[in-house]
Amino acid sequence: MDKRYFKKILVANRGEIAVRIMNACRLLGIPTLAVYSEADRGAVHALFADEAIEIGPPAPRESYLSIEKIIKAAKDRGADAIHPGYGFLSENSEFVKACDKAGITFIGPSAESMHLMGNKVESRIKMATAGVPLIPGMKKAGASLDEFQKAANEAGYPVLIKAAAGGGGKGMRIVRDPKDLKDAVEAAKREAGNAFGDDTVYLEKYIEDPRHVEIQVLADKNGNTVHLFERECSIQRRHQKIIEETPSVALTPELREMMGNAAVKVAKAANYYSAGTVEFLVDKNGYFYFLEMNTRIQVEHPVTEMTTGVDLVVEQIRIAAGESISPYVMEAKQRGHAIECRIYAEDADNNFFPSSGPLLYYEEPSGPGIRVDSGVMQGSVVGVEYDPILAKLIVHAPNRNLAINKMINALKDYKILGIKTSRKFMIDVLQHEEFRKGATYTNFIEKNMSDRGDDLIPAAELGAAVSAAAMMSKNGQSGGGPAKAVRQSPWQTIGTWEIGARIGK
Amino acid sequence: MINEFKFKDELFETRAAVSGSEIEVSVGENKYKILSLAPGKYAVESNGIKKKVCCIIDKGKSYLDVDGILLELTIPSDDGVAGGAAGQGGAKDKIFAPMPGKVVKILVAEGQEVEEKQPMVIVEAMKMENQVNAAAKGKVKKVNFKAGDQVDTETPIIELELAE
Repeated sequence: MDKRYFKKILVANRGEIAVRIMNACRLLGIPTLAVYSEADRGAVHALFADEAIEIGPPAPRESYLSIEKIIKAAKDRGADAIHPGYGFLSENSEFVKACDKAGITFIGPSAESMHLMGNKVESRIKMATAGVPLIPGMKKAGASLDEFQKAANEAGYPVLIKAAAGGGGKGMRIVRDPKDLKDAVEAAKREAGNAFGDDTVYLEKYIEDPRHVEIQVLADKNGNTVHLFERECSIQRRHQKIIEETPSVALTPELREMMGNAAVKVAKAANYYSAGTVEFLVDKNGYFYFLEMNTRIQVEHPVTEMTTGVDLVVEQIRIAAGESISPYVMEAKQRGHAIECRIYAEDADNNFFPSSGPLLYYEEPSGPGIRVDSGVMQGSVVGVEYDPILAKLIVHAPNRNLAINKMINALKDYKILGIKTSRKFMIDVLQHEEFRKGATYTNFIEKNMSDRGDDLIPAAELGAAVSAAAMMSKNGQSGGGPAKAVRQSPWQTIGTWEIGARIGK
Repeated sequence: MINEFKFKDELFETRAAVSGSEIEVSVGENKYKILSLAPGKYAVESNGIKKKVCCIIDKGKSYLDVDGILLELTIPSDDGVAGGAAGQGGAKDKIFAPMPGKVVKILVAEGQEVEEKQPMVIVEAMKMENQVNAAAKGKVKKVNFKAGDQVDTETPIIELELAE
């Protein structure tokens, strides 16, 4: 019989990740407490939890980012642990300290490890000392434009401007021409300031045609650290990942072992515990460079779960309670191939602009090896306040080719009407022969997807026909339901009758 | 029943009639037999092929999923109901925010000549900066907002005088 690790877990997040975490709590028999903003009164995560508490206005600052309100909610409802998910407060070491002070267990790393890794500049210095390979660039954050210009000239163009407190592509700019440096630094600072409340940015050399490969690590408070292999996350748009897979076609068993060992070295150097991800760039010659360590559960964690069979959120909860990593995890192997597609509310045909509105129709795909981590349902309203991720679709198959096929079909079966989603765009990526060949570099989309032109007229004509039928059936019945059958079934013509009645009674 | 649906520049005229349990629709020379299964869910048969199609009519638009392709058709007879979005469709002389947000930077000035696809304004929404480009070549007639202003999708941020 498993121990019940906590009395109640507050999930300080929304959307699909909140639901994912609550599922792990359910598995362990731990009651869950959701927090939600005024905009999320009907949100799936609020309905999914055992208890839910409203904590403020839609603006994240006044709800999901309010340390005070979240700690108070936990205390008021007797939650003795908080899981932060990803985004929001997940990498805010002040929040970890506030939890410690309130006597609530933070399900994640210590404030010290988080603080170290959260500062991309400090962590690079520390990791260089630990012997982990780095990309050439600024040793510290830049203050004046002069410093940026000097560092850019030393590293050589193209260069990349990144937010020190960053993640998720926010506050990031590539500069190829020295004359664009000033504008890029300004834009990156603004975006970083808005996203993280800290506008510190730094500069490094931009590696052309790299792959983005990350290693999942798990470490406990008892000195055990293990890596759970890689995830390849090279398919990105606007520097945000949209398709992730494992194993990576770029890794040989030797390279995998070297990178895994380097990741374990990084985690140990940071005195890390809980689940974490060490991100590397891998260049064409098989050299890898440490980018950063993410001290949270990652959006793309399910592909690791599908191939290793490890439940990462369950392990996070156990580790937070002081348990050692489960024995089965220490022996985990990679099995088959998994792919994840992020379903964003955005318009791929219009520069990936976010799309908002109600989900008028919603139907998830299902079947063997198909997993949907979602935070929406039919009737959900996608607002402008939060990250536009709706759901993640994950498939598992014996090999990469079959996984691609399975994903294409699952994407086709995923029906979302009312707002724009990136679904069709991802189908086109997966069907591209370069993707099939495994030529997945971080510039894949720029390079291969700029000229997408399908003849949509036949589909539109069929669509018009269905629309006509829909208008007709809508007119025929209130509420937009199916048309009342005009058919003459025998039951309709038979008149009043009674089952089991005897004729001539 | 006769209806019109518009997809980009293409106009489809549909003729629909109830036939037994199905609805028969003809578009030009093609015929479709459609069975309404549940709200939003239809079985469609054409040329001997049967498939599931999802369709929801809402505020002057028809939202569809055909073979995993998302389509939005407008219903001209239902015009105006769609509100601001309808205004944005055709007009290339007005630059709107893609969604409600905050103006970060106006990249052009009144009187300036601009090329098609030239960046006009940066709007922040959903924590991301989004660049809005000119849809056509022209001259900036009016700039209605400045950096820091909140914008909706109904009021143009920038108005252009299109080049012929």
